[in-house]
Amino acid sequence: MRKTIFWRYPARLSFFRMDDRLLLISIGVIVGLFSGLAAVGLNRSLIFMLEGLYHLRHLWWAFLLPAAGAMASSIFLEKIMKEGAGHGIPEVIYSVSRYGGLLRFRSSFSRLISSSLTIGSGGSAGPEAPVVMSGAAIGSTIARFFYLNDRQRTTLVGCGTAGAIAGIFNAPLTGLIFTMEIILGEWSMVNIIPIAVAAVAGAEISRILQGNSIAFESSGFHITGVDLFASLGLAVVAAFASILLTRGLRRMHGVSVKIKIPMWVKASIGGAAVGLLGFFVPEVLGEGYHSIHDMIQGVFKGGIGIAALAFFAKIFATSLTLGWGGSGGIFAPCLVIGSFAGLAFHRLLAFGFPGTPLVNEGCFALLGMAGLISGILQAPLTGIFLILEITASYEVMLPLIIVSVISTTVTHYFEPDSFYHKDLKERGELLRPGTDSRVLADIGIREVIETDCITVSPQMLLREFFHLLKHSTRNYFPVEDPETGEFLGIVELGDVRSYIFNTVMYDTVFVEQIMNSNPDVVHYDDNLADVLETMDAKSRFSMPVVSNNRFVGMVSKATLLDKYRDELNVQTSQAF
Amino acid sequence: METTFFHVFRNTPLGREIFMQSLYFCKHTRASIKIYIPEFTKFLMYFDNDVVQVDLDESYLTQPTTARSHAIALAVEAGVEPFFIPPMNFTALTLPDVSVDFDFMCCPRSISDFSSKISLGHIGPRVRRIVNAARFPVLIPSSQFKEWKSIMVFFGGSANAVNALNLGLYLSRITELPLDLFTQAGELSQAHFIEILKEHYIDEEVEASVRKWHFFQEGKFEHNLFDVPHNALAVLGAYGHGLVKEMLFGSTMEMVQSTLPNPLLIAGPNYLAGSR
Repeated sequence: MRKTIFWRYPARLSFFRMDDRLLLISIGVIVGLFSGLAAVGLNRSLIFMLEGLYHLRHLWWAFLLPAAGAMASSIFLEKIMKEGAGHGIPEVIYSVSRYGGLLRFRSSFSRLISSSLTIGSGGSAGPEAPVVMSGAAIGSTIARFFYLNDRQRTTLVGCGTAGAIAGIFNAPLTGLIFTMEIILGEWSMVNIIPIAVAAVAGAEISRILQGNSIAFESSGFHITGVDLFASLGLAVVAAFASILLTRGLRRMHGVSVKIKIPMWVKASIGGAAVGLLGFFVPEVLGEGYHSIHDMIQGVFKGGIGIAALAFFAKIFATSLTLGWGGSGGIFAPCLVIGSFAGLAFHRLLAFGFPGTPLVNEGCFALLGMAGLISGILQAPLTGIFLILEITASYEVMLPLIIVSVISTTVTHYFEPDSFYHKDLKERGELLRPGTDSRVLADIGIREVIETDCITVSPQMLLREFFHLLKHSTRNYFPVEDPETGEFLGIVELGDVRSYIFNTVMYDTVFVEQIMNSNPDVVHYDDNLADVLETMDAKSRFSMPVVSNNRFVGMVSKATLLDKYRDELNVQTSQAF
Repeated sequence: METTFFHVFRNTPLGREIFMQSLYFCKHTRASIKIYIPEFTKFLMYFDNDVVQVDLDESYLTQPTTARSHAIALAVEAGVEPFFIPPMNFTALTLPDVSVDFDFMCCPRSISDFSSKISLGHIGPRVRRIVNAARFPVLIPSSQFKEWKSIMVFFGGSANAVNALNLGLYLSRITELPLDLFTQAGELSQAHFIEILKEHYIDEEVEASVRKWHFFQEGKFEHNLFDVPHNALAVLGAYGHGLVKEMLFGSTMEMVQSTLPNPLLIAGPNYLAGSR
């Protein structure tokens, strides 16, 4: 008999069976710590890469550095790790939507390495999405190790995500909110507590190893009514920047897909282009946090033209890096582009209305960041809390809310979905808990098949059929070939109604004459949502399931509704 | 309920041999074959508590234009109706997911593992993970198609061995082929194993169905394997140990697969024998 290792099955302990929150909190701390460590590891490797390559930046061939980095990153991901390019967040959302957060172990480190190669060499991308992927995969791996169920595993994926974001930005609240708003898409108490604890653990390990510092400390801003009014305009600018970046990234990716050359060649072409661009606009290289720091401090040297040029150049460089196969995320580029947008907008206002008492331009850079993050992610809370935590500028709360909310709304009008959700939604794979599509996706055809059906032979006389009907509660009778067992058609109660009072026909009509020999059928692999749609379109209450030309059973709306309610109860009862 | 068998088609002569074994299995177990013709060199299988990425070699993408017609021709010749399944969804643009809602799967030793491709004789880590995670038994075919005329179950008395025995009994019932048992008992007596069968209420069925019980108290396991008929389907249970543990402490599964040229049907630790 196989020996059971109890410590591998903590969920079976009676202590945790009553309420598994304590179990999730305990394991969540471990996940948060590991995710925080992953964030610190990525941060350190980026610093190592940037410092190591710094003395080469002035050389004429330095534009090849991003090309080499992107190429190495692509080869590492494609050939060694055998993973696709991209930032990976849609993969995390997809696995949470469909498979209870099952992620591959290799994802816990693959994107850390590839993104440090891309960003460290000068590619225009951010380290946050890769670290989210890593944290989520760590959560999933630990959940699998302890044999946790789908719901518990999903929570731990959330813990990993929150720990990673909290670790990389030293922003635990943002970690929690990003996870709930973007990754899980639901606000349930059962998730919030362990995820919050994991975020704290991630932030704390980062503080222990890297110090408790604010990423972009500001000198304090005095906000007036004029600034609030001006922030309305900035919100619209940020929204259009979000739309531009979203479309630029997708367009660039579309172009790249059409070109049939190996991915590592594409990545190196994209990297070289970014390197060349970086010669003229150095702000586009790397994650770009140095520029943000300057802008928030109000010491950015360029004029309005330079700020606007850097804004467009950064959008182009990010599209090139990520669209052409580099590895990294859009968080950091969004912050850079947003701050350029805010700065350019402030300078434009100062130029157009010289006497207007506006707040320091650093405040607008900060608001621009929030606007861009909120717009592109369709996540206003993430935008607001991220900026509050990474700048500690709580005095800008009001314009921050205005910019985030308006930017989200305007962007939503043109781009209804978050950048992370767009592809999934187009493929019909964004299934949020408690939604119709998610409930139906979690029910398989096999679960709703009714097998207690009465099959009839095509040679059966109408009299025999009515005799059968009298003793049955069924409305549908599948017809099978008695010799081969092949499914031939179906007789519906409605089909025989006209014969009921015509007794002359009882001994002259056979079942094969009245059956529907070409009914709509269901196969095992069919999607239940499609089956339901067919039933609605054809006004059917039941459909036969056929496999290998054999009748297997019936799927009825009544059984489906029962199962639907059960599944909905399971999904929504997890809220508390 | 219909029995389904999953096969990843490879449009090469070796792939044909493997496909013919799958078809033979389906024909005799009355299972319907679900054929996946890959368009990418990798796909994911999401199991209950694991996700396995299967990395195929380039030979699986050989001549995609003729793959379907070749598969149909072979299936028709074998008298089995072919069903082709597309990927269920896509985790990433070039990373499809394949359903795991099957009753059997064919998994060549070389599906994804370099060491097995160069014939080192080990079941690769991917195949091992599929065996460990799947609720269905995995058919590991031999390199050349040969019809099997009997079923040989390796019964060592463990819970997994009982699962394998149940599977063997099911196959024997449905294929009407003779069933043999193989037990490397060591110092244990046959009465001990009969007691285990009684505990699982299968002693009577075993007595009625088993043609011959190859019971060894002496001799080395690998030497005694000579008694396994050359044309038998070998059925065995797997513990689900990791590669390292099995390399350190040895494994019956590895021993059997590296010694016997027969096709193997392996029931992993998650295989639900009771479902049949």
